[in-house]
Amino acid sequence: MFVGSLPPRSSLLLALLVCPAVQADDLFLDSEALPQVLTATRLKQTPAQVPGSMTVLDTELINASGARDISELLRLVPGMMVGNISGNQAAVNYHGTNASTARRMQVLIDGRSVYRAGLATVDWSDIPVAMEDIERVEVFRGPNTVSYGANALMAVVNIITRHPADSHGTRLKYTRGQRGINDFYASQGTGWNGGDLRLSLSGQEDDGFDSDRNGADYRDSRRLNRLSLAVSHTLNDEQSLDWQINAKDGTNQRPYTYQPVFSGITAAGNNSDVVAKDYAGSMRWNLDLNPQHSLYIQGSAQHWDRQQTWRACDAEVSFSPELAQLWQLNPNYTERLARNITRFTGPGAAPGTPQEMALANQVLEQWRNGASRTVCGDIDQSARESRYDLELQDTLSLSDSLRLVSGLNYRYDRANSETYFNGTLDDTTWRAFGQLEWRASEHWLLQGGAMFEDTRLIGSSLTPRFAVNYLINPRHSVRAVYSEAIRSPDMFENNVNWSYQVSHLRPSAYGQSSARYFVKTRGPGDLDQEHIRSRELGYNGYFAELGLALDVKVFHDEITGMISEPLRNNQYIASNANSSRFRGTETQLDWRVSRADRLRFTYAFVDAEASNPLDQQFSARNSGSAGWLRDWGHGWNSALFYYGDNALNGYRFERVDTRIAKRIALGKAQLQLAGVLQQRLDHEPSTFIDNNYDERRVMYVSAELEF
Amino acid sequence: MRYGRSRKTPTLSHWLAGLCLFVGAWLHGVAVQAADILLTGAEESPGVQAFVQALSELRPTDTVRFQPLASLPAPGKLPTSLRLILLDLPSLDWRLQDAQGPATLVLRISRLQARQRLGTSQPAHLSLLWSDPPLSRQLQLIRHMLPQARRVGVLFGEHSEFLLQELNLAARPLDLQIVSQRWDNIHDSRPLQAVLKNSDVLLGLDDPDLYNPKTAKNLLLSSYSRQIALVGPNVAFVRAGSLASTYSDQNDWLRLLDQLLDQSPASWPRALYPARFKVSSNAQVARSLGIEPADDVSVATTLIEGERRP
Repeated sequence: MFVGSLPPRSSLLLALLVCPAVQADDLFLDSEALPQVLTATRLKQTPAQVPGSMTVLDTELINASGARDISELLRLVPGMMVGNISGNQAAVNYHGTNASTARRMQVLIDGRSVYRAGLATVDWSDIPVAMEDIERVEVFRGPNTVSYGANALMAVVNIITRHPADSHGTRLKYTRGQRGINDFYASQGTGWNGGDLRLSLSGQEDDGFDSDRNGADYRDSRRLNRLSLAVSHTLNDEQSLDWQINAKDGTNQRPYTYQPVFSGITAAGNNSDVVAKDYAGSMRWNLDLNPQHSLYIQGSAQHWDRQQTWRACDAEVSFSPELAQLWQLNPNYTERLARNITRFTGPGAAPGTPQEMALANQVLEQWRNGASRTVCGDIDQSARESRYDLELQDTLSLSDSLRLVSGLNYRYDRANSETYFNGTLDDTTWRAFGQLEWRASEHWLLQGGAMFEDTRLIGSSLTPRFAVNYLINPRHSVRAVYSEAIRSPDMFENNVNWSYQVSHLRPSAYGQSSARYFVKTRGPGDLDQEHIRSRELGYNGYFAELGLALDVKVFHDEITGMISEPLRNNQYIASNANSSRFRGTETQLDWRVSRADRLRFTYAFVDAEASNPLDQQFSARNSGSAGWLRDWGHGWNSALFYYGDNALNGYRFERVDTRIAKRIALGKAQLQLAGVLQQRLDHEPSTFIDNNYDERRVMYVSAELEF
Repeated sequence: MRYGRSRKTPTLSHWLAGLCLFVGAWLHGVAVQAADILLTGAEESPGVQAFVQALSELRPTDTVRFQPLASLPAPGKLPTSLRLILLDLPSLDWRLQDAQGPATLVLRISRLQARQRLGTSQPAHLSLLWSDPPLSRQLQLIRHMLPQARRVGVLFGEHSEFLLQELNLAARPLDLQIVSQRWDNIHDSRPLQAVLKNSDVLLGLDDPDLYNPKTAKNLLLSSYSRQIALVGPNVAFVRAGSLASTYSDQNDWLRLLDQLLDQSPASWPRALYPARFKVSSNAQVARSLGIEPADDVSVATTLIEGERRP
């Protein structure tokens, strides 16, 4: 080892100069064994690397918005169309399509899909998660069935609750305001060696909208309570287990909307309220095989219980077996006869086939013999839906520049409803997916993947997705994305078997206290998937010196094979005959102007064209938001937001929200007092004609204690 | 391996060898005569053996030897001409029992450990060579890697609280604001949440009450989920997921010891941070936080230059 005449001391010095490499047995480097926590598989992409458009609503923004509902929060997402069917039914769609059924978006809570198993809609108000438990909401704007599975046709809303380890202590919050606002939240979080948990209870109440189109009181208030338990266990350095239990119970008022088919019926019920219960449980086992390889297995079970029994009145002849038979033969003929029955009592049945005319004359005979009298009975429109889902996802970092995410998913959906399905209907779905992320060079990032899905009721499909990001530097990129995605029609669209068995009839109909209403509708049973092709060009940048994050994109989406027919029980003829096209541009800007000030702007221009006019209703051509958050010091905070849509379902929407909050330290505890004032700037109904407020302004205040 | 490199470039190595010979001869000329250097510690681990071997190669004219603590008499009984080097805390405890004895260099001791053992006083015969990265250096590293960060979150416990004053002093000229937060119970994550909420970056103090294998996961995952980088407290944490830290390895310490042993013990400083250091960063974490990839050697060079010319 001795080289020439070099004295060892000097040669060592030389070695010190040229050999800075860290030695494994270095006495001075910490020998303490620490597990690698932020491994290649755990690290996420920066906004510039994301293969698409993403909006993240962080805790600060969620608090500042003062929003009481997740749907309201989504107004901060460019291109998201947020409206209301009623006070307790939000309608949320990305870019558009039908206003009354928003079923083309994937919504996940901690990885668990919450759109309903039978009717693939999201009941935003019934999601068993309190706003206070939400850490952030990540919205992937664009189709992404490859990463998020079926239903991720237009966008994915990923709701991430606070990790139990981040929720220690006690939080108590009470909110009270105009329009009957009365909310509470209480949570307790604690940690122990190797685990953490959070238990939270919450409740929400309000009166919904004030008046319908006629100025009468609008029956759309809600009362609900939720319970949520989230537990996390660290089993060892490689394994952890997270599980959750969520439950929600409440009542959503619905007005009585049944219009008697037959003339002369004046009696009516007074509501069609829904008791809505949601239950969910999920468990995820995370395993880090090594820093380059991790996987998880998540299983979840969910149950949606919608109990909707209400009293309706019509003529006794509605329960005539002959009328039901006639409906089966010719619904149009039957509807004409039923709606104008008094015109036919004299002259007899309208021209038709001999069988139709014979049946119609029998019905007219019944009408003349007293079946025109009013009978009232209970309609049970309840539905119980369940879903069991098991997913394995594997993340493998093949090298520093190559990462593969792949997985398998099994889902079982079941819907039970006498009215909608004449019993029980179920479906199973298998899904396999894989996505490869390749950093070809310092500047080029290529991502591609595909998903194969097979559903028992609908069939199978394969959807690809490709994205190229050119990273100008780690914080600035331009991207080009092509993706395809599918949506399988839900059980309701494809397999509805819709008829009403009315019970507790008074007086009895044809001697029966329980009888079947004459209208019966069946789904086609042979519907195909809807298919979207989406193209996107975008730029994402973060100007660190300014604290400014910017994202701009142009898009062109086409949906084909679209099922657009409204779900009505008279003559529902669903088909894949329709198509839509959405193109436009979106911008979002988030600027931390100073340590105290944050500005945020979003804007979307959406040009929608649809073969079915109904699918064009829910696209505001211009929509956006602007926000200013400020920390005034001494515990004072303020936020000012503007939200605007030029026309959603034909109605303009403009609102300014202000929130002022003061934090007060009470020893070790913190008290936060906040007031929210929402001021509508327009004079129009909200989304639908029956959604009206008496006052354009609403105020609510909250007090929150943390210790 | 080290020598192999010089074999590959004979002309350079000959030139350097000549230079080293000259420097060596010069050092020999000015240095005091051969010294007896005794290293001690509770155990003679392979790491200790390698270090003693490296030091003896570095000082061939001195007698360099290791003797386990158990075999040593009381410090006062050792000859005062001896240069005593302590390698661990048990040996420090042994040394502290006697005010008399040879001049002593204490290695592998952090500010926190010294404070716990010595309080605010410091025995005259000890030179404490700090093992934890100096706070001002870590702040410079933050300034360099995250130039936009202004609010530096710092968790402290009862044993590390005394560092805050110094930290605040070091932060002022760099235009950094220290957001300090007491964290007494590591099973309660609220203080961690509070500090992350109000900071642009988290600086880890070398306080094993707070930064240890039990807390590493929560610290790193919580800060990462808020896209806040952790800087420090040591290299092990950088491997686990901290963004970066400065550190001094065995080579840096050998260089420092070599310099000190050339001096008379009377001129040894009472306490010292090594002037030579390196930077370790986690490239994957940096990339995931959208931070420009930095070359550790060039960052260290820049920081060293900065320390030389403040």
